[in-house]
Amino acid sequence: MTALHRTPLNKRCAEPRRALRLRLLSALALVLIILCGAAFADDERDALMERQRTLKARVAALQREQDYLMFLQRMYESDSKYLVLDMKKKTAHLRYKNRLLKDIPLKEISPGFGRKVKAGEHAVTMKIEGAKERHALVLNNAFVLKWKRSEVPRPHASLPSIVVLKKDLFSFYYTIGPGMMAYVLE
Amino acid sequence: MNTDTYLRSVLLLIALLATAASRTASGESSPSLGELRASVAALGGEAARLEEENRGLRAMLAQQEDGDVYIVVETENNRLTLRQNNTVLHTAVCGTGSRKFIEAETGTNWFFETPMGSFSVLGKERNPVWIRPNWSYVEENMPIPPANDPDRIVRGVLGKYALLLGNGYKIHGTTWTKLLGTHFTHGCVSLGDADLELVYSTAKIGTKVYLY
Repeated sequence: MTALHRTPLNKRCAEPRRALRLRLLSALALVLIILCGAAFADDERDALMERQRTLKARVAALQREQDYLMFLQRMYESDSKYLVLDMKKKTAHLRYKNRLLKDIPLKEISPGFGRKVKAGEHAVTMKIEGAKERHALVLNNAFVLKWKRSEVPRPHASLPSIVVLKKDLFSFYYTIGPGMMAYVLE
Repeated sequence: MNTDTYLRSVLLLIALLATAASRTASGESSPSLGELRASVAALGGEAARLEEENRGLRAMLAQQEDGDVYIVVETENNRLTLRQNNTVLHTAVCGTGSRKFIEAETGTNWFFETPMGSFSVLGKERNPVWIRPNWSYVEENMPIPPANDPDRIVRGVLGKYALLLGNGYKIHGTTWTKLLGTHFTHGCVSLGDADLELVYSTAKIGTKVYLY
């Protein structure tokens, strides 16, 4: 075999092959470089997409906070009592301007309340004067604030509800009217 | 397969790999790296702006927090609460307006209701004296004496202390301690002796009183 390669004919054939091999190796090196570059780009893309997700969540949280702070700012300037319903702490805060008047424990929250009722501002749209003091408040036609035995007629009977103690509901029920503001915190 | 065909196949494969790699790098199916970088920068700017604005809003709201003690009277449940910075310092059972209506023969009438709203302590009195108003005589079917009649001056019925809220309304003591927790007063807020002493010693002239 070795002797065969040394023949002039074989020498003539081997040279272009060597050149071709060289070209091939260069092309392979180039592909490897491009592939490495692509891998780095993928890493950067993943990192950027993760950062984008984090920032989107942060911006959404800051927007929610700003909405609440602006609500408080308006309420500090207004002359009306208002409610802040903290769904996580299951507590309502009856407030007037910058003062907290009363903490009201939320005894029951209907299932799926968070899904059905948007966080943010809601106004009392209706006071329901039930028989035998079975009163309730309808907020924004979106949910009902009531005590255990409140009578909520149709069409509001199917609305999500928050149950508080009778004495807590009555502590402000008689002194407020439609338009009283409430803010639902997620 | 001869050598040329083999080489051509390898070159074709390399070309395909290179194309695929360059496509991955430029991300033809998803946003380009440049677009992603721009989006992240924009979101970062948006977050920074919102943080700055929220800091300002919080500062504006905090300016209105004075840390002062304030009094809250819940007339429906007859409860008086001393609060500071949203913290409850003390809760007391109190008496508030009876929501009764009386009318004199002359046609003058009175409705005994505790006023609602925001008030301030305008004055502090020790051993307050009650000057019996006309309704007190009407209520007991007694003839109304002249305005400066010394019989109108009654001592010891308002407890040891009184906080003046204006228009004759006060937070004071009572001899009717068994009625605390009910609506029995003529509009003032009544407290038991121990609670009154605490509220009196804590409140200052100007202390805010919220009646609702």
